[in-house]
Parts: sequence; C-alpha cells; structure tokens
Amino acid sequence: MYTYILRRLAFGAITIFGVSVIVFLVMRIMPGDPLAAIFGPEGFTKLSEVDRAHFMKELGLSDPLIVQYFKWIGQIASGEFGKSFFRDESVADMILRRGPLTAEIGIVSVVLSWVVGIPVAIVSAMRPNSIADNVSRFMSILCLAIPGFWLGMLIVLACLFWFGYRAPLVSVSLFEDPWTNFQVIIGPAIVLGLGQAAYIARMARSSLLEVIREDYVRTARAKGVNGRFVVIRHALPNAMLPVITLSGILLGFVLAGSIPVERAFGTPGLGYAMFTAVNERDIFVMQNLVFVYSVVFVALNITVDIIVAWLDPRIRYQ
Amino acid sequence: MSSLDPDFETSAEIGARPAEISRLRRVFNTLATFTRRSPLSFFWGVIAVAILFMAIAAPLVAPHDPLKANFRLMSKPPNELAYFGTDQIGRDTLSRVIHGSRASLTVAIAAVLLGTTFGAFWGLASGYLGGRFDIISQRIIEFLQSFPDLILAMAIAMALGAGTDTVIIAIAVTRIPFGGRVIRAVVMSLKEQAYVEAARSIGASKLRIMMRHILPQCVAPYLILATTHLGVAIIIEASLGFLGVGIPPPTPTWGNMLADALNSGLIPPWWLVLFPGIAITITVLAFNLLGDGIRDALDPRLRGSV
Repeated sequence: MYTYILRRLAFGAITIFGVSVIVFLVMRIMPGDPLAAIFGPEGFTKLSEVDRAHFMKELGLSDPLIVQYFKWIGQIASGEFGKSFFRDESVADMILRRGPLTAEIGIVSVVLSWVVGIPVAIVSAMRPNSIADNVSRFMSILCLAIPGFWLGMLIVLACLFWFGYRAPLVSVSLFEDPWTNFQVIIGPAIVLGLGQAAYIARMARSSLLEVIREDYVRTARAKGVNGRFVVIRHALPNAMLPVITLSGILLGFVLAGSIPVERAFGTPGLGYAMFTAVNERDIFVMQNLVFVYSVVFVALNITVDIIVAWLDPRIRYQ
Repeated sequence: MSSLDPDFETSAEIGARPAEISRLRRVFNTLATFTRRSPLSFFWGVIAVAILFMAIAAPLVAPHDPLKANFRLMSKPPNELAYFGTDQIGRDTLSRVIHGSRASLTVAIAAVLLGTTFGAFWGLASGYLGGRFDIISQRIIEFLQSFPDLILAMAIAMALGAGTDTVIIAIAVTRIPFGGRVIRAVVMSLKEQAYVEAARSIGASKLRIMMRHILPQCVAPYLILATTHLGVAIIIEASLGFLGVGIPPPTPTWGNMLADALNSGLIPPWWLVLFPGIAITITVLAFNLLGDGIRDALDPRLRGSV
C-alpha cells in the first residue's frame, strides 16, 4: 500500500511539473506584445518606448524565458503566487479569501450529486427498462445537455420573479454567519450538483447492473434474501468503486464548471476571480490560478486513486 | 412487352451505373437499419441535421438582420413583430439565436475534427511505433489531461486573443488527449493481429502498414469519438462566449448573447436568457443522442447491450 502511494505521488509530482511548463508556455504564446494584452490596443499605442521598456522590465517580461520560468517557480515555492496587475492583492491572498467559498460549493455539490444520483441509479437498476428507468435515463441525458451557467441564470431570475428573493452576494465564512454563507453557496452547489448527479446516476446504474449479474448476488438471492436488501447490502458496495473514481474526476471538472456558474450567480468565489482575470487579461493572475486549479485537479485524482486502492485490494496488488 | 415490366427501367439503370446505385442502396440500407435499431437516435439525428441546415441557411431562415438595431423596438418582450423579443438596442432575438447556431456549430465541428484528427494520428503513430516516442507522447497527453477542459480552453483563448480561429484552436487542444488515448488503445490491439503480422512479414513499410492496414480500422472509433464530443465542444464554446473569451461581439453566439443579457442591467430580461439557453440545450441533446446512436451502430461490442 505504501509503495503504491509513493509511486502515485511521484507520478503526481512529474505531472505537476509538466503542467507548470504548459501553463507557462500557454501564457507566453500571446501573439504580439503582452503589454498590448494588458493595456488594450489603445492604451498600448499611447505608451512611449521608454514606458514600454520600463513596464516590461518591471513585470520581468524582458528576461529570457527560462529565467522567467524559474522566477515564477520560485514565487510559487515562496507561497506568493505573483501579484495582480490591476489590484494590490497577491494571488495567494486572493486564494485564501475566495478559495473557501468555491471549495464549499464543490463539496456540497458532490454530496448533492450522491444524494440524488445513487437512489435514482438504484431505482433504475432494480427494474431495468421500466418506466422509472427510462424517465430517469432521459432526465440524466437532459441534465448533461443543459449548460450549468444557464440553469443558474434561470434560477436567479425565477427566484426574483416569483419570490422577489435574491441571494446575498457577500463573502462570509461558514463560521461567521452560517445562514448567509448557506444562501450564497446553495445556488451554485445545486446547479453543479445536478450536472454531476446525471453522470453519477448513469455510471452507478451500469455498474450496478454489472454487479447484479455476479454469482455471489445470485447466491444471496437463492438463499432467500429479499430483493431490495440484496441490491443495497450486497451489490451496492462493490458497484461503488467506479462511481467513487468518477466522482473524483467530476470534482475536478466542477472546479472548472464553477467559473461560469459563479459568474451567473455573482458568487464572490475563486471562479469569479478567474472570470475577472480573463476579462482584464491579467496574465499573471491567470497563470497562477490556472496552475493552482490544475494542481488541485491532479491532487484530487491522486487522492481518489489512493482511496480506491485502499477500498479494493485487487488494484494495489497489481 | 419488356417495357411493361416494372423492373425493366431499374435494371437498365443498374446496368448503366452499377457502382453508384449499389453505394446509394448501401447508404440507404444502413440508415434503415439504424432507424429500426434506435428510432429515438434517428429522431434526434433528424433534429441535428435540421439544426445544421438552419445554421447553413441562417440568412434565409432568420426574419431580421441579427446585427440591425431598431430603436423603435428596444427591450420588448416577445410579441408578434419579434417572436423571441428584442434586446436593449432592438435587435431581434430570434434572428440572433438562429445566426448564433452558425458560430456554435462552426466552432464545435471544426474544433472536434481538428483536435480528434490530430490526436488520432498522434495515437496511431505512438501506438504503432512504440518505444521512447510512445512514452514521451503518453506523458504529454497526461499533462494535457491534467487540466479541466474549460480552464485549458480559457487560458489558450485568452492568450491567443479573441476570434473564431482562436476559439477553435483552444477547444481543439482540449480534444487531443481523447483522440490520442482511444486510437492508441485500438492500434495497440490491432498491432498484434495476424493480418498486420502478414503485412510486416512480406516487407511492407511501417508507414504503409499504418496507413493502409491499421488506419481503416480506426475509422469507426474515430467517428464515435468525434460525434460524442460534439456536445461537449458546443457547451465549452458557449461557456467561453459567456465568460467573454469566445467569438467577440457583435457576431451573435449563444454564449455571448447570455453574457450580454447578464450585462444588460441588474435584472436580465427573461426572454434574452431563456431562448439562447434552450437553443444550446436542444442542440447538445440532439448531438449527444445522435452520438449515442452512432456508437451503438458502429461498435459491435456495445451493439444490442443497452
């Protein structure tokens, strides 16, 4: 088990290195001048040659690429993550201030996706091709086709229209004011949770149907255990492994999905910061945020792999 | 007498151009089997084709010019002059939704074709050649997969600047790993087949084996992959447009229409929100279900199982 964990962590470290190189290169392939991106085409033409050189030097953009890359890695290692070009806030502060909200949204959405997805899958798998099964399958296909941010906009509009209610848009921590915090995160969490629930329900259904065909389930049935009990106690635990893996991967995609969804709700989380950075063309914030998101994504995948290996001895003894 | 024979004319035609007729008939037969096997997929396939035609013939279908402001009809809810209402400067929402399908479909189809094709050839080469090239390719693909799709697409679209071609490239890059992985797996299993062994033993070059013997077998998985990824590509395109890094205004896309609606004031008018979103949902649904149908039809292992 420990060798498995160590090997997984080593691969993770290599991946994170590769990710940092790709992020860095992507942020430097800007056609034309990075200053043009920052100041906009009009602002850029107003700058004099001296100003341009000055800004390039101040931003460290006139160094060779290798030097720039290692400077950036140094910044990350020192935990600073660079500074926003437009606001006097380091990216590290931004993450500490806004990150918890997005993390909460992610966790609540995963819980919701299990609470909704698993029971639906059980109902589907108990009677395949019944009306309930077909309805739930169509609903999950429909949920996959609805863009989360649009659903978010509709929810905001509907709440205003029918109840005159608008969720507060303040950044409060769970411990200061749980009720306000709940109102801030619940909208995005529901939208993102529904999207995942569709995937979870599909995966859990097919995985359950596969497990139900196994010999030991038949044995349990033959022994006279009642149908529902067989599915929930005997089949479900074994069917959960692929679902756990999927759920971990989905949590990574929720991080990305929360960017447009937070924009739709106006939630002041990290996703909104990403939206702002993209629109202001703040390459330094963007570079660091993309890196942080990917590291979290990689870390989540490793965690899930380890959990699954811990739950399933067949994997770790390979 | 023979002219009264109902089969006379057709048999004469078959005699004239046998190849063409039999090909047409084969296409027709395939379609018929497809319809019989999954009528639902066929139905959604028809809708997908209808949306495609709507996109191609957008100027003919749309009742108004999508870019023309009409200051006598500003921010009007749906009425008999504008069925889907008008936006803040009086542009017709229905026409904009219809024209929006152009941007979405062009980007999605181009990006999926570009990304999947590139990934497929990469996977073909790395799977067949193996060795160090394969190991390095696998690592690079793994790195690319360590980004959530949308974030990678956002970063590339932002770095390259706004425009249709940059959005296509941004989405295409996120599709490369899927093409690479799937086709590599297919190639790895084909490589050991007897007919490939035979080709190798008579001295066919690596390139010839890859192109003539292995590539044709990759067509079915490639088609499955491409169609199942169209829906995702449409959603990413809409998200990029919504976040302001998609195709820039004034060109209407479903994503930037939703962004416009959100930026229009404190409370966005409901008709500006509802209709572009419905368009996205129906299109993605149609392409996803068509993709499922094509997968069931082309993949013998999955055929009849679901």
